[in-house]
Amino acid sequence: MTGTIFVETLRRNWRQILYWGISLALLGWMIAAIVQDVDILKQYEQIAKNFPPALLQLFGAEDAATLTTPEGFITYGFFGYSLLILAVYAVIAGLGVTANEEDAGIMDIVLSLPVPRWRVVLEKLAAYMLIMVAIIAVSFLGLLIGAQMSPVMREVNLMRLVEGTLNMIPSSLLMIAITTFAAAIVRRKNTATGIAAAVIVGSYFVDFLGKSASQSALGGVRAVSFFSYYDPQAVLVNGLNVGHVALLLAITGLLVAGTVWAFQRRDVGV
Amino acid sequence: MTNHSTPVIQTDNLSKVYRSGNKEVQALNNLNLSVRQGEIFGYLGPNGAGKTTTIRLLLDLIRPTGGSASLFGLDAQRDSVAIHRRIGFLPGELNLWKNLTGTQVIDYVARVRGGVDRKLVNQLSERLDFDASKRVRDYSSGNRRKLGLILALMNQPELLILDEPTNGLDPLVQQTFNDLMREIRAEGRTVFLSSHMLGEVQSICDRVGILRGGQLQAVESVAALRRVDFEYVTIRFRDPVRVDVLAGLPGVTNVTVDGNTVRLCLHGDYNPLLVALRDQYIVDIDTEEPSLEDIFLSYYGNGTNAHKPAETVKEMAS
Repeated sequence: MTGTIFVETLRRNWRQILYWGISLALLGWMIAAIVQDVDILKQYEQIAKNFPPALLQLFGAEDAATLTTPEGFITYGFFGYSLLILAVYAVIAGLGVTANEEDAGIMDIVLSLPVPRWRVVLEKLAAYMLIMVAIIAVSFLGLLIGAQMSPVMREVNLMRLVEGTLNMIPSSLLMIAITTFAAAIVRRKNTATGIAAAVIVGSYFVDFLGKSASQSALGGVRAVSFFSYYDPQAVLVNGLNVGHVALLLAITGLLVAGTVWAFQRRDVGV
Repeated sequence: MTNHSTPVIQTDNLSKVYRSGNKEVQALNNLNLSVRQGEIFGYLGPNGAGKTTTIRLLLDLIRPTGGSASLFGLDAQRDSVAIHRRIGFLPGELNLWKNLTGTQVIDYVARVRGGVDRKLVNQLSERLDFDASKRVRDYSSGNRRKLGLILALMNQPELLILDEPTNGLDPLVQQTFNDLMREIRAEGRTVFLSSHMLGEVQSICDRVGILRGGQLQAVESVAALRRVDFEYVTIRFRDPVRVDVLAGLPGVTNVTVDGNTVRLCLHGDYNPLLVALRDQYIVDIDTEEPSLEDIFLSYYGNGTNAHKPAETVKEMAS
C-alpha cells in the first residue's frame, strides 16, 4: 500500500529526531546563551587572534574579527559545527534507505512484496529527509531559547536566525542523497559509507582550501564544493541565497533520480 | 488463477553469470523449466548448483544475463509487482528486522501487501506453534523459519516459492509443513521448493528438477524416479561364493562380497542372475528399491551415468 514504507520508516526512526535534535538544540542554546555581554565576544576575539587564520577557517570563522559580531559568533559556534554533526546523521540516514537492509539480507523479503523498487527508495528517502528537517527544526528551538536569554543575541534579527536554520536543510538533504546514491551504485555498505564520507569530507576541505587561498587558483575550486553554497554567515547578514538553495536542491534531486535509476537496474545483493 | 494451459513458471534459456573483477562464474546456464499449476515441484541440487540463483531471478531480485523467465505468463522483470502480488516467498537465509516482534513484522508485511486475512495468520501461528510476541532477535532459527512461513503463506498465494523451507524445523513442524503443502496443492495452488534434502522432496513433491553446476540435468516425476529400472539385491549363500560366476552378467554392477553375502545392483530382469547362480546354495535374497538419494547420486556420482534410468539418460542427451 502506498505510504506504508514511509510511515514504517518514520515509526522506527522518530526517536532520532529527539536524540539528534535535542543534542543540537543544546549546542544552539549554549552558544547563544553564553554570550551575556559584548565583552565576552571581545575576549573570544582576543583568544582567536592567537590561532593561525587557517585553523579558524577550518572551523568556519572567516577571521578573528568574525567572532566580535553576534552573527559571526553564531555562525562559528552553531551553524558551522551543526552541519558537520548533521553530516554524520546524513550518512547514517542515507545508509538506511537501501544499504542497511541489503547488507542485512532483508531486502530480498522487501522486494518480494508487491512494491516497486523505486517506491522503496523514494518512501524511505522521504521519511529520512523529513526526520532530518525535524532535527533541524528542534535544533532551532534551542538556538531561539538561548538567544532570548542573551541580551546580545536578542539583537540578532529573528527572521535571519530562521533563514540561517532553513539554510542547513538543502546541504543536509544533499548529504543524505550523496550517501543513498553511493549505496545504490556500489551495493556494499562499507564501500558506500567510505565513498559518502570521502565526498563530504573532501568537499569540506576543498571549500576550506578555497577560502584559505582565495586569491590563488584554488579559490575557484571552491565552486565544486557544496559547502561553499552553504555560507551561513552571509545568510545571517543578507538572508537566504535562493540561487544557492535552488542549486543544492537541484543536485539533491538529480542524485535521488540517479539512486532510483541505479537501484532499479542492478542486482540486489545478499 | 492462471489458465491451466499456461505454466505457472516458465524459463527459456535463463542464464546468469556473476562477474567479480575479471572473474566470471556461470551460476545458471540455459535453464528451460516449466512448472504446472497445482503441482509441488522440487528443485534439487547440492549447494552452489544454482537453486537460489534461479529463485532470485524468478523474483526479479537479480537480472538474467541471458534468456527470460515468466510467472503466470507475465514477464518476471517487467511485471514483477503484479507477479509479487500473487506469490509467497521464503528465502533460504531468512533475515528480518531484529528489533521488531513477530507481530510487528507480520503487520508490516501485511500492510505493504494491502492487508491479509488475520484469521489465517492466527491459524497458521497456531498450527506452526509460533509465538509472535517475541522480538526477532530472540527467536531460534526454527522459530524464525516459522515466521518466514507465515509471511509466505498469509496472503494465500497462487504460487509459493520456498528456498530450503524446512531448514531448522523440528520433525513435528516438518510434518505440519508437509500437510500445509498438500493442502495448498489440493486447492490448485502451486509450490516451487528448492531443497537438498531428498526425503523432503520424496514425501511431498510431484515432480523434481535436478540441477548441477547451473545446468538442469533432468526433470522427472517422483513416481517415475521411483520406478527406475534398478534395485539393490543382497544374496546370502550357505558357502563362500564364487564371484567369477557374476562377472560379465548382463545388468549386474557394483558387486561387493562380504563373506557369504553378495550385494549388487541389478538392472533389468532377474533371470540371467538366477541362471548364473543355479549351482549355488542360496539361503536368502533381499531386494531394496533405490531411494531418491540413490537416484540423485546416480546423476551426480563421479559423473557416471551407471544407474541412470534409460529414459532420463535419453532426455538428458536430447
